[in-house]
Amino acid sequence: MNEATSPIFGNLNWQVTPYTDLLRDVNSSTIVGAGAASVLVLGTIAGVALLTYMRWWGPLYRNWLTSPDAKKIGIMYIALALIMLARGIIEGFVMRTHQATALGTLAQQESGLVAPDHFAQLFSTHGTIMIFFVAMPLLIGLINFVLPQQLGARDMAFPVVNQVSLGLTTVGAALVMISLLIGKFGTGGWTMYPPYTGIEYSPGEGVDYWLWAILISGIGSTLTGMNFAVTIFKERAPGMHFMRMPLFCWTSLCVAIMMIYAMPALTVSSAMLALDRYAGFHFFTNEAGGNMMNYANIFWMFGHPEVYILILPAFGVFSEISSTYSGKRLYGYTSLVIASMSIAVISFTVWLHHFFTMGQSAGVNIAFGIATMIIGIPTGVKIYDWMATMWRGRVRITAPIVYLTGFFLLFVIGGLSGIILANPSIDYQVHNSTFLVAHFHNVIIPGVLYGMLAGIHYWFPKAFGFRLDEAWGRRTAFLFVGGFVFTFLPLYVLGLMGMPRRSPTFQNPDFMPWMYIAGFGAVLMLCALTSLFWTFWTSYRNRLALAVPGGDPWNGSTLEWSTPAPAPEWTFPRIPHVQARHDWGETKRSNDPWRAPKQYCDIEMPSNTPHGLLIAGASFCFAFAMVWHIWWLAILSFLAVPGLIALRGMMIIEPKIIKAAEVEEADCRFRQQVANLSAVTRADEETSRNRGVPDVSEFAG
Amino acid sequence: MTRPNTGEVDPQDGMAAEIKSYAIGFAVSLLLTLGAFTAAMSDISATMKVLLICIAALLQIVTHLRNFLHLSFSGEQSREDLLLVLFSVTLLAIMAGGTWYIMSDLSDRMHTSHEGTTHSFKSN
Repeated sequence: MNEATSPIFGNLNWQVTPYTDLLRDVNSSTIVGAGAASVLVLGTIAGVALLTYMRWWGPLYRNWLTSPDAKKIGIMYIALALIMLARGIIEGFVMRTHQATALGTLAQQESGLVAPDHFAQLFSTHGTIMIFFVAMPLLIGLINFVLPQQLGARDMAFPVVNQVSLGLTTVGAALVMISLLIGKFGTGGWTMYPPYTGIEYSPGEGVDYWLWAILISGIGSTLTGMNFAVTIFKERAPGMHFMRMPLFCWTSLCVAIMMIYAMPALTVSSAMLALDRYAGFHFFTNEAGGNMMNYANIFWMFGHPEVYILILPAFGVFSEISSTYSGKRLYGYTSLVIASMSIAVISFTVWLHHFFTMGQSAGVNIAFGIATMIIGIPTGVKIYDWMATMWRGRVRITAPIVYLTGFFLLFVIGGLSGIILANPSIDYQVHNSTFLVAHFHNVIIPGVLYGMLAGIHYWFPKAFGFRLDEAWGRRTAFLFVGGFVFTFLPLYVLGLMGMPRRSPTFQNPDFMPWMYIAGFGAVLMLCALTSLFWTFWTSYRNRLALAVPGGDPWNGSTLEWSTPAPAPEWTFPRIPHVQARHDWGETKRSNDPWRAPKQYCDIEMPSNTPHGLLIAGASFCFAFAMVWHIWWLAILSFLAVPGLIALRGMMIIEPKIIKAAEVEEADCRFRQQVANLSAVTRADEETSRNRGVPDVSEFAG
Repeated sequence: MTRPNTGEVDPQDGMAAEIKSYAIGFAVSLLLTLGAFTAAMSDISATMKVLLICIAALLQIVTHLRNFLHLSFSGEQSREDLLLVLFSVTLLAIMAGGTWYIMSDLSDRMHTSHEGTTHSFKSN
């Protein structure tokens, strides 16, 4: 960064890749850095080669990238999240390996696998990726896939906005990925607190990568929140009153509301920091009237609702699976609805507990401490409701139930350590230690990750037409549970022993046994990740034996199980008229559930468009140009975004009409197939006899 | 034109009325923005400037909600619209009030009356 900025290439030159560092100095840290960059490059080349060899470019563009179908957009979100999850878990493994080798001495204080600056990049990208590009896409993807089907809608309220949101999220993820190869990422942690991340102490591209990734994907998430809210308010099937919605829809509504009101706070704090860094403003600087404490304030005004944005969809998934796999009706529907809405509102009143030690007076601290303890109550209500749902049910120990059991055992520990941390006087002792790291991993992994993986397992047949392999699904779940226990419970002990979080080195040999246990846990997590991908692969190979064309493999009670698997583009041949809370279940109880509709009509669906792809392309060019100060490209691509929107506004866009005859033909084929398949009992659910048509007489939900 | 949020054609409402509503909203927003800039560049006291800009901002929010987002307190949508506005105001009050509470407390404890430095937050 010593040379002058070039008018054409900005700050880019041949010195910015990790290979330069490797050539300058060969050590374990630069080898890891160059290795990661090589994985990115080789992975991209392999992906491009595969697509070209299989001639998949055309189908990929026509059927996926330009599709405004919420189901496909949801699947793409989840694919993005799984790629980022792989990177996040590998980074976690590298950090655990580093800390297991990081015992320094007084003579040689720094040791370990990677250099301190590299370690700081690792924990910054790990946090950023796991929150914004794993957890968020997972839950947004799952909601996109499930919500319209559960509401009895054909699509989201704004299908093209949905496409744009996916594009913007992908741009953020791509920026974080490309920072592996071109330049460096920031070192300020996933929160990027100034003044350290101001231009004075963090010159260079690192913080800018984070800022633009967050700003752009944050706008995408805000749009998504609006889309979900409007869909829930306006697109419900006739008769689907609010109190008839499945619980997953309720938690999606809470998530939508929180996204709408919380994400702008993040956009504001990041935009202010960007102004500080690019335009010489003084919002958060040390001098000239800046106040860096306000950054923490605004950031956590987003950050705390964000925590509940992450967890509530998982709560929705657990509500669905605890009922379905127990063959029982969900216990305490109303209390779960009230608890979800209470969490959504109270989550806006607790943000100060993320900075109890910033220096405000005890009165302020205790006000927010009490609010924090109160938010534990609705969460506790939910746990009891799910346990009561399973109580005396005929529980099938499928992979989602293993996740749910792991969640019960581990999430309660995480929640209770949160209640401990909610007490400001205790927080003063353990803040900024690995006790805190253990706490938030203890809520996010058993909560969000288990919930989302359980949801993927549960709804996978609806997306692809075949079930996931149960044995491998359970193995993955057990590995994630074991991996979590070994990796993060030792961090509670280490935190109480006084180990600060994010420390690249330490001098206390007593830490070592716990470090080795945590390192072993990280190995288990890697195995779990491998097992997860193996589950997808082996299920794909066995897809004929696992196929469930009947569409209802688990004897479910919500609307999405009434359609074929995979669900057709139009989802429902006729929009259903909802009569009861568990409408599909009630239909099973009363009469033949697979009755054909009396007549079919033409269906209007949004037509494919490359709009989201183009907006994403322009945004990526803009962000990349801003990071590297390539001003001409930044201006051009910034103007391209409103230009593209205006262009689409001036075009006449015809919707796609699906003819009634085509719908009728497909639907009759489906109903014929269901009639020919033999119904499967619960006992045979995991065998290849499960063709997606359950024994209706067994239904008890 | 269609009724708000229904997709059903509203025979009472024509394209002209719709465009008129947008045009009025645009003109009012433009005037309020210009007014805020004029206030900022004029010679009046800082307190008055802040007050005027805040009033202009609030009026502009109302204009946007009314003319662009078609919020109204009469008609079939009124109950939902009212709930929406009340909920938003509650959350914004929590955020703004909380910030005020936290930052003014921090400001007190930072002894901002110390000489020789400038401060962005004053508790009074």
